[in-house]
Amino acid sequence: MECALDAQSLISISLRKIHSSRTQRGGIKLHKNLLVSYVLRNARQLYLSERYAELYRRQQQQQQQQPPHHQHQHLAYAAPGMPASAADFGPLQLGGGGDAEAREPAARHQLHQLHQLHQLHLQQQLHQHQHPAPRGCAAAAAAGAPAGGAGALSELPGCAALQPPHGAPHRGQPLEPLQPGPAPLPLPLPPPAPAALCPRDPRAPAACSAPSAPPGAAPPAAAASPPASPAPASSPGFYRGAYPTPSDFGLHCSSQTTVLDLDTHVVTTVENGYLHQDCCASAHCPCCGQGAPGPGLASAAGCKRKYYPGQEEEEDDEEDAGELGAEPPGGAPFAPCKRARFEDFCPDSSPDASNISNLISIFGSGFSGLVSRQPDSSEQPPPLNGQLCAKQALASLGAWTRAIVAF
Amino acid sequence: MTQVNTTSYKTIKLWKISERDKRPEGYNLKEEDGRYRDPTTVTTLRVPVFRPMDLMVEASPRRIFANAHTYHINSISINSDYETYLSADDLRINLWHLEITDRSFNIVDIKPANMEELTEVITAAEFHPNSCNTFVYSSSKGTIRLCDMRASALCDRHSKLFEEPEDPSNRSFFSEIISSISDVKFSHSGRYMMTRDYLSVKIWDLNMENRPVETYQVHEYLRSKLCSLYENDCIFDKFECCWNGSDSVVMTGSYNNFFRMFDRNTKRDITLEASRENNKPRTVLKPRKVCASGKRKKDEISVDSLDFNKKILHTAWHPKENIIAVATTNNLYIFQDKVN
Repeated sequence: MECALDAQSLISISLRKIHSSRTQRGGIKLHKNLLVSYVLRNARQLYLSERYAELYRRQQQQQQQQPPHHQHQHLAYAAPGMPASAADFGPLQLGGGGDAEAREPAARHQLHQLHQLHQLHLQQQLHQHQHPAPRGCAAAAAAGAPAGGAGALSELPGCAALQPPHGAPHRGQPLEPLQPGPAPLPLPLPPPAPAALCPRDPRAPAACSAPSAPPGAAPPAAAASPPASPAPASSPGFYRGAYPTPSDFGLHCSSQTTVLDLDTHVVTTVENGYLHQDCCASAHCPCCGQGAPGPGLASAAGCKRKYYPGQEEEEDDEEDAGELGAEPPGGAPFAPCKRARFEDFCPDSSPDASNISNLISIFGSGFSGLVSRQPDSSEQPPPLNGQLCAKQALASLGAWTRAIVAF
Repeated sequence: MTQVNTTSYKTIKLWKISERDKRPEGYNLKEEDGRYRDPTTVTTLRVPVFRPMDLMVEASPRRIFANAHTYHINSISINSDYETYLSADDLRINLWHLEITDRSFNIVDIKPANMEELTEVITAAEFHPNSCNTFVYSSSKGTIRLCDMRASALCDRHSKLFEEPEDPSNRSFFSEIISSISDVKFSHSGRYMMTRDYLSVKIWDLNMENRPVETYQVHEYLRSKLCSLYENDCIFDKFECCWNGSDSVVMTGSYNNFFRMFDRNTKRDITLEASRENNKPRTVLKPRKVCASGKRKKDEISVDSLDFNKKILHTAWHPKENIIAVATTNNLYIFQDKVN
């Protein structure tokens, strides 16, 4: 049905459209950019799900070589901060019976990181649904729009479109338990399985289908099922609680999003839009017990908005909302840009039109910012073009999802 | 004399359009070319008379309503009371009085407090043809809201919400784009309304909110081409639609200078082309057919040969006669029913 464009090129194209719209006559077209942002989000979700599937497939292959022999003793179900509905998810059963943890240490680490993202996004999803859900496209709502948050692990409407024909998504259809070995994919489509990783938000609107159910092809990755569906004997579910929840990490600096760079497998924790390592390295990071937020933030302290607006939902939940995190000293070339953007975001200080321009400017300069801020980027910052920007942008999940949707 | 409202991004103008086919001749103080005569040379008096002239259509701006919109205006609609009208941009709808240019009332505002929470915009709005207190507006998410201005000053709460659940089997990257409504038009009777999204036209009964009563596929063969149409921006084209005078036929435009008509009673549809080759008067338009796939029959045109630069976005149907106006990129075509 869809053309041969893969998710990544679609993302490049979309970014180029947004970028070029800044310079077009007549001002920024709000409607068009909003629609492009939806495409961007859909493509991104698909791209990420493909990567996760790949990752899990690799885990599976490694796992096969060693017999699983223990359950996690440190399973910690339903962290205190977790909404009750999270308890609906049972432990994930990976093929081979009950051992959600790969034996290989590096793989285990990656899974650990992925789980952080799961949990974080689950939180965000549920918080989002405490707010009035956007009307209209139910699938979009289920996809966590506009709360991208960690983004990657929301419902994948894009996945649904790319299911194998025999795998039309159906609600409530129990997923097959994970089978060892790579799943055969009869179609030249990205593996649908990663949709299975999507936390199924129990409060998703009823009209939302469960694109996370790829019946037919055995998903190579974790199997998941909507809480409503009866769990098969192997009890698929999300492996919530297998690892410490984000709350256990200490939600300092008010809120954090953990992003996994799928290319370099580096986990970066973004605190209110700032890199954790920058944050804690700063003398100003309160969580590290060192004093007040930096002056750069003071001007923005009045503004609830953050550079990575994906923090929105978590932010609302925080007690110390005034603590918007510390100014990163590390990103010296970056900080001035960001400060300006914060000020621009203050609703009182600028008219609507310039707000939109500033949102757009996030994309214009934001990607070069992303490039320069990834500490483990192998290359020097590439020129601002669609292709490379897309790669870098994809690498930092969720952070800019909401900024996109803001269009 | 007609009055027409136009809008260009953020300013609304009210024009008087008039035809002139006579002009006065024989002034005493002016020459025929307009120069004033020296009064001392006037020796006789005469009464000017009207003489026929070539038909001239004049448009003169009568009112300018400015500075009420922050975003691009997408619709204006005159109320059935002929005193007020509404204008809609991406996030707000304002109510104006035709005689008052320096202020308007804001009646709908969907701008979120936090722009980052924006998920949909207003795409079209129209007053009900009979109830001067009722209007609808459509959104980029494929919903239509009907509002009653008597309910409150700010009509943020709709009286009715028209929305069809999405078909999950049609889900794609572009689902949000193609479900965005580009036009909404009430039927003349006021009982139905029609919406146009990228691939289809839907007829809604105002009494039924959960799904349209009729759906017509305009160019379903494009569904497999959405990627390319996204790349070349055609997927963002905003097609209009219109009813005929008796509300029995609806019409909308497509690509390759095609336009489509759907007869609601006979369920038949026809595709016609507005092109210069058929420009000779009294030429009967030949029905066209697009071949989606497979073997192309004679006289059919394949999807890949369609010219996506030739699009008919604007169509209009005379409220009483079977005369239609169809706008291509550079030309306006006026067709009428076959004269038997």
